[in-house]
Amino acid sequence: MARVGPRDGEVSPDILEACRRGDRDAQRALYEAYKDKVYSIAFYFFRGDATAASDVTQQVFLKLIDGMAKYRGDSAFSTWLYRIVVNACVDRSRRWRAETSTEPKVLDEMQAPAASHEELLARSEVARSVQTAIATLPPRLRLPILLRYFDELSYAEMAAALNCSIGTVSSRLSRAHRLLARKLAPLVGAVAPGSLLKR
Amino acid sequence: MLTRHVSRQLARYCDGQLSDAEARTVDAHLASCERCRKERDEVRFAAGLIRQLKTVSAPATVWEGISTQLDSRPAPQRWLTPRLAVAWLLGLLAVGAAAYWSIRQPDSRPWEVARLSDGVRTNMAVGEWVETDARSRARITVGPIGTVDVEPGTRVRLGSLLPDQYRLALARGTISARISAPPRLFFVETPASTVVDLGCAYTVQVDEAGTGDLRVTEGWASLEWSGRESLVPAGAQCQIRSGVGPGTPFFEDASAALRQALLDFDFGGGASAAVTTVLSESRVRDTLTLWHLLSRVEPAERGRVYDRIVELVPLPETISRVDVLRLDRDSLTRVREELAWRW
Repeated sequence: MARVGPRDGEVSPDILEACRRGDRDAQRALYEAYKDKVYSIAFYFFRGDATAASDVTQQVFLKLIDGMAKYRGDSAFSTWLYRIVVNACVDRSRRWRAETSTEPKVLDEMQAPAASHEELLARSEVARSVQTAIATLPPRLRLPILLRYFDELSYAEMAAALNCSIGTVSSRLSRAHRLLARKLAPLVGAVAPGSLLKR
Repeated sequence: MLTRHVSRQLARYCDGQLSDAEARTVDAHLASCERCRKERDEVRFAAGLIRQLKTVSAPATVWEGISTQLDSRPAPQRWLTPRLAVAWLLGLLAVGAAAYWSIRQPDSRPWEVARLSDGVRTNMAVGEWVETDARSRARITVGPIGTVDVEPGTRVRLGSLLPDQYRLALARGTISARISAPPRLFFVETPASTVVDLGCAYTVQVDEAGTGDLRVTEGWASLEWSGRESLVPAGAQCQIRSGVGPGTPFFEDASAALRQALLDFDFGGGASAAVTTVLSESRVRDTLTLWHLLSRVEPAERGRVYDRIVELVPLPETISRVDVLRLDRDSLTRVREELAWRW
């Protein structure tokens, strides 16, 4: 999965400083740097619900901007950002469970580019199945998967964002992968085996 | 070779995140354990599939919503433009040293307090008291991180106002805090507990002896006193008693019987019968209360508290009952992490 957006340190200290002063252009630059990562986590966390993903993304950046005045750079920016993301997803999911059907949505926009119509169809089916399977994981297993694959956070970063130990992150990721593999067992053969079995 | 299964480490193993020594240990186990080899293949298979998903772009309407909300707020204090800077410098030269001290003055009175009846604001110094009578209310601005509303009949002392620590002391009355900041920046001391903000909104009320309660409406807060800590999420509350500190937290929609039993347990001395009632009245959500009880009940009672938790929320087999019952810190943390999603 291609990385989008910056890692820590790729948003310049000048932008962070300008954000602290309330500079709207700097706030926009910060938003542009992280928006797709935050949106993607929320999008897949809420089973492809674009409305929920938009609301959570908006809430995350408003909290970030509100709290910017006291961010002094003495802790990783990503730790703070992703803790806000995790809290926003969990808080909204409590309300969301009561408001929506439990049937996961599937969106065509997630299809990967493909060389042929057949391959396009095959990849689309795989992506749909994977999204649905991720959506059925409990939140405590779903979030580490999304943080790991959409933001490529390190285990230490995930542990900080999820407020747990690295061992717990590893344990949850291991369980999440195994559950997904069992749910997705019918897809064996749908993707090139060599691409899946490398360490 | 018979070694411990490596299920928990497989994600880090497949990600290449283990140290060489750890990886060798896993390799050695995999060589002799078919079950773990199968699980390793499952991790790799799932990882390959997840990578089929693509990042999704945020729609333009998201920034429009953010921008609109920012526009609707009071304008932030602007830094000096060059023209204003020149004017400011000229003014400074004109009034000399007196102006210097007038500029320094706000630093010695860093707290901003507003009377809610007419909006009149004043700056107050560290150590000063904010006191409301039976009809008045006030709002304290907590630096850039939030506000505290002071209800009628309340006495609050203004404490430190530093970038890494904002403190108030509530002697009596009721305050409602709304804080947007990383955890553990804002503290409210009461006679029998300290409320620690973990990113939230809450109301705390106490009488002069220190008896009162904390109710959290958003996020999390904790009550800490003499090594005792109660974690309180949104929708829950926790009683505070003079000489005892924080009680055991519970959700506000818990049954009346559970709530009364907790009062008996925390402050009444009816321990064993109270625990029996709490266990029988507990729902999945009340594992918040049960988790706190693990470290508060007598050792002989601990097993049935743990068993009730597992009955309500099955825990991973990697969590050891024995370790939990001996209050192993990591095991208790793991249990909390498994349960907290249901709170």
